[in-house]
Amino acid sequence: MRRKKVCLVGYGSTEYSRKSEKPLLGFYSEAINRALEQTGLEKKDIQGFALTTQASPDNSPYVAEQLGLELDWVLNADYGGAGGVMGLRRAADAIEAGHVDVAVLVGGNTFDRSVIHQRVLEYQRSNYVDVFGYGGPNSLFALVQRRHMEAYGTGLEQIGKIAVSQRMNASMNPQALLRKPMNLEDYINSRMISDPIRLFDCVMPCSGAECVVVTSEERAKKITDKLVYLVTDAEKVNYQVGNMLPDKTTTGMKIVGDRLFSEVKRDQIDLFEIYDDYPIAVMIQIEDLGYCTKGEGGKFVDSHDMGFKGDFPVNTGGGQLSVGQAGLAGGYLHIVEALRQLRGEAGPRQVAKAERALVTGIGWLAYGRNLTCTGGLVMERRA
Amino acid sequence: MAGKSLPKVNSIDRRFWQGAAEGKLLLQKCQKCAHRQFFPRPVCTRCFSTDLDWTPASGRGEVHSFTLVRVPRNPAFSEEVPICYADIILEEGVLMQSRIMEKDMEKVKIGTRVTVTFQDTDNPEIKLPVFEVAN
Repeated sequence: MRRKKVCLVGYGSTEYSRKSEKPLLGFYSEAINRALEQTGLEKKDIQGFALTTQASPDNSPYVAEQLGLELDWVLNADYGGAGGVMGLRRAADAIEAGHVDVAVLVGGNTFDRSVIHQRVLEYQRSNYVDVFGYGGPNSLFALVQRRHMEAYGTGLEQIGKIAVSQRMNASMNPQALLRKPMNLEDYINSRMISDPIRLFDCVMPCSGAECVVVTSEERAKKITDKLVYLVTDAEKVNYQVGNMLPDKTTTGMKIVGDRLFSEVKRDQIDLFEIYDDYPIAVMIQIEDLGYCTKGEGGKFVDSHDMGFKGDFPVNTGGGQLSVGQAGLAGGYLHIVEALRQLRGEAGPRQVAKAERALVTGIGWLAYGRNLTCTGGLVMERRA
Repeated sequence: MAGKSLPKVNSIDRRFWQGAAEGKLLLQKCQKCAHRQFFPRPVCTRCFSTDLDWTPASGRGEVHSFTLVRVPRNPAFSEEVPICYADIILEEGVLMQSRIMEKDMEKVKIGTRVTVTFQDTDNPEIKLPVFEVAN
């Protein structure tokens, strides 16, 4: 499906820190304030509000109450790392339907222990993973990575190149917490966490928040002359769920890619902000999106430069692997970086030709498969 | 410190855990379309029928993928690392995740044949279906 009149008009990022004890709502407020400042919008203009949370008591109306927001539309985009992309889709729907003209989306994380956040992870299937001593997402992605390595001969050097390349991009991003240069040897020799997943395959949890503002085209024209349109977007939830012998190395992004690229051409994309909870997840998404065939992701990364100056720029700000994962801000980070690039505001890491960006989000690991949520979108700068 | 994680048995999977306590590995089988599934769910994931029954699995399968966990999510497992956590394809054509109890990790590879065994827990009514490398 093609969007016609939905624009992304601004963003707000807080500074990131390793373990801040500032309240989560403080992070949200700061990110939103920065976005309001950038757009010249005021609190009263916020008609729609979405956040992504995995914890009670952060129900979206309660968070909005804390922030003093009276709204016409509210959403908890509880899609894990896909919350940014999938939440943005719903906000775009609400704007196209005329329910709201301006929506603000936010995600963030803190280490504030004064508020008891009860993680809502005790769904029934924990009976079949926790009891066997598994290591959380690191273990589930380890199963995927081993399968990919075994089935297609994918090498650690190939997977590691993604992490190394993102670290180089991060060296130009003051927001990134991990800017120290890293080479393939550092990657391969990093501590084993859940074989073959190593420390430098994993994101570093941190504190911070990201915010995105989305409006109608008409409103956008009053706000900015840097018009960035949402062109097309798609999602797939629970790909292969009924299949008891799923292909672990193929995700719902395959379906998402088919839909996105029925509207734009693959070679029209200038930069790729690909959700990176693990380097192997980036590689698999590149395959599923159809930039190479399944299993050829290793060869693809070998033959492309993923730096911000490269022929296939991936995660130009360093991604979560180098910026840090501020909890569920992770699903918004990639949208914000794409916006920065398309608006020409990425400073020393600016991609030279940045007219069209692809952003993906993936979230909530699935039992025996890989992901429950996969979403993607294309945004475009128009003069 | 809280102990090792145990299942919170519920109305949907009670029969599965009763079976495990009796030394049986049970799969759900749809009475309408014959689909077999794991883990236990309220409906058939193929045809959405709620008419599900239980069928014993042979307990034999092969390793589809595995990881050696060094950092378990529940620290109560820390003394047992590395823990071999695996995707196992049962003979019935159903993927199940479990733990492989094997001292010599060199014996565990993709394709290795494994068989189920039932491990005692702190709760006398609960046994866990784990796997061993087949002879």
